[in-house]
Amino acid sequence: MTCDLTLRDVRSVARIVNLAHRFNCRITHVQAAVGELETSARFAFDGPPVALTRLRAQIDRIIAYESVA
Amino acid sequence: MNGAQAVVAALAREGVETIFGYPGGAIMPLYDALFEHPVRHVLVRHEAAAAFAASGYARTSGRVGVCCATSGPGATNLVTGLLDAMMDSVPVVAITGQVRSELMGTDGFQEADVCAITQPITKRNMIVANANDIARTIAEAFALARRGRPGPVLIDIPNDVLKAAVKDVTDPPVKPFAREGAGPRASDAAVSDAVARIRSARRPVAIIGGGVRAGSVDLYRMFTAMLGLPHAATINALGAAAPGDPSYLGMLGMHGLKAANKAVQRADLIVALGMRFDDRVTGKPDRFAREATVIHADIDATEFNKIIGADVSLHGDLRDTLRALIDELAQGHVPRFDDWAAEARLLGGPLPSDRVDGKVLSATDVLDRVFAALPPDAIVTTDVGQHQMWSAQRARPADPRKYATSAGLGAMGFGFPAAIGAQFAHPATPVFAVVGDGGFQMCLPELATLRRYNVPVKIVLIDNQNLGMVRQWQELFFSERYSATNLADNPDFAAIARAYGIDAYVLDSPAGADDVIARFVNSRGPALLHCACHPTENVWPMIPAGMTVDDLMEARA
Repeated sequence: MTCDLTLRDVRSVARIVNLAHRFNCRITHVQAAVGELETSARFAFDGPPVALTRLRAQIDRIIAYESVA
Repeated sequence: MNGAQAVVAALAREGVETIFGYPGGAIMPLYDALFEHPVRHVLVRHEAAAAFAASGYARTSGRVGVCCATSGPGATNLVTGLLDAMMDSVPVVAITGQVRSELMGTDGFQEADVCAITQPITKRNMIVANANDIARTIAEAFALARRGRPGPVLIDIPNDVLKAAVKDVTDPPVKPFAREGAGPRASDAAVSDAVARIRSARRPVAIIGGGVRAGSVDLYRMFTAMLGLPHAATINALGAAAPGDPSYLGMLGMHGLKAANKAVQRADLIVALGMRFDDRVTGKPDRFAREATVIHADIDATEFNKIIGADVSLHGDLRDTLRALIDELAQGHVPRFDDWAAEARLLGGPLPSDRVDGKVLSATDVLDRVFAALPPDAIVTTDVGQHQMWSAQRARPADPRKYATSAGLGAMGFGFPAAIGAQFAHPATPVFAVVGDGGFQMCLPELATLRRYNVPVKIVLIDNQNLGMVRQWQELFFSERYSATNLADNPDFAAIARAYGIDAYVLDSPAGADDVIARFVNSRGPALLHCACHPTENVWPMIPAGMTVDDLMEARA
């Protein structure tokens, strides 16, 4: 699973890495470019489909909360 | 004005009247700013209680609860309460002091990286590095705590920032994306699809969850009433059903009522509203409501298909969604499900119990009597364990905001401080905390908080001299190997309460129970009712973890 994300908080990169580890997903790629207001990040993960689905949902929640503040 | 004064001014702008906390070195400037300020600070006796009290305040009022603590151990003691708020979607703002900026990263005295610690258990946390950012940060924190799916936000402020000079900001420049705005709204197509499925259903059941607390009770009652729809509630939605509603089947889940669980299992359509299919509700997901299609409404899109697949997803505020469903239904045929509701009611029966001979006090008998004696407007909080489930089976709160319990996290030590928070939010409303002997001992020092502020919380202590729920599982699933659950050496709780200046009533036999309960309920000021109950009474019915209603147990094998 590959995710191209725009994050308001660069700390979310670490949070996503931790979540992948928690769900026993293998992180095959992390790349982040930090801008003045946003961070562009690309992640690639391997893992069981259920775990990847759960990881994607948690990433979506992080982004949803970031969109508020 | 310094940073600490800017914090208090910002809290006042948010309408905060009460905050719960405990002072310490790094946060001392804030306490200095609070001295003689109209924002009332309530001194608890452990920071964990501050977070739980803020949660009780928020759960019962709908306003944001606020707690504060110093750096290091003060901040880490808030952690359980913040996670509890996250799990149950409760708007809480926590303010923590931090060591001076130049000490951060030096393993300074009482230094903890509380933002890293709380990142997974808050919607957001922020370190304020510049005192001029305080007003904006606090405004954003409150907006975020309230908006969408509510939850906790933590603001960490270094000691030097609290002391730094700041210009008086009366209209903080909140970034546009932090302002209250239109949230997601279920599409017309999805609403039409949902209504079509309701019209064609034969055995629909609605399940209401904690999302109903966000101002949706009236519309939920209208929705179920217009259809005669049988409906069940998760523990966070107790009180959503109109009093006396014949279509209401009770709480759902592991210790839920038989009618609710069986009706869901027989349903051909589940209308899940503001609930998240917790494992304590579904049991084994692939055997949950096997014959049903699912309409799932939630403000949090990540809940869709997380546990139970949704055939129709209604993403939006539950109030808007219910209004749309009602309007769409009203434009055409409005089906009635009274016959199915009557059939569903018959799937249940009286609550099974373990009551023993009449000489020993039964916890379920006591709770039946207590709930019968409560004023109709009473607010009830509970702790976690057997008494929590017995209460949830019996309580008939008038509104979901009249009932607060640590549902998702199941945090022992919650019930009593949450009641303190609820009482500060509702000074004129009777507030009762139902607790067990295990959880009560996690927060005994809060008796001092009751006494100091003369908070008239009434504590119903169900003392079975055991960590009863764990003991029950050991009996049923661990070959009666009672490891570390016996509390036969409990202290004299009444004497402890009296030592703090709290009135105590003792109930140790069924004889005269109603009279003692009546005197306790009608007493003035804070009071404890110590109920010395049978040690091995179990909670029934029970669906063992990971199983279904087909495996429901109603008594010991």
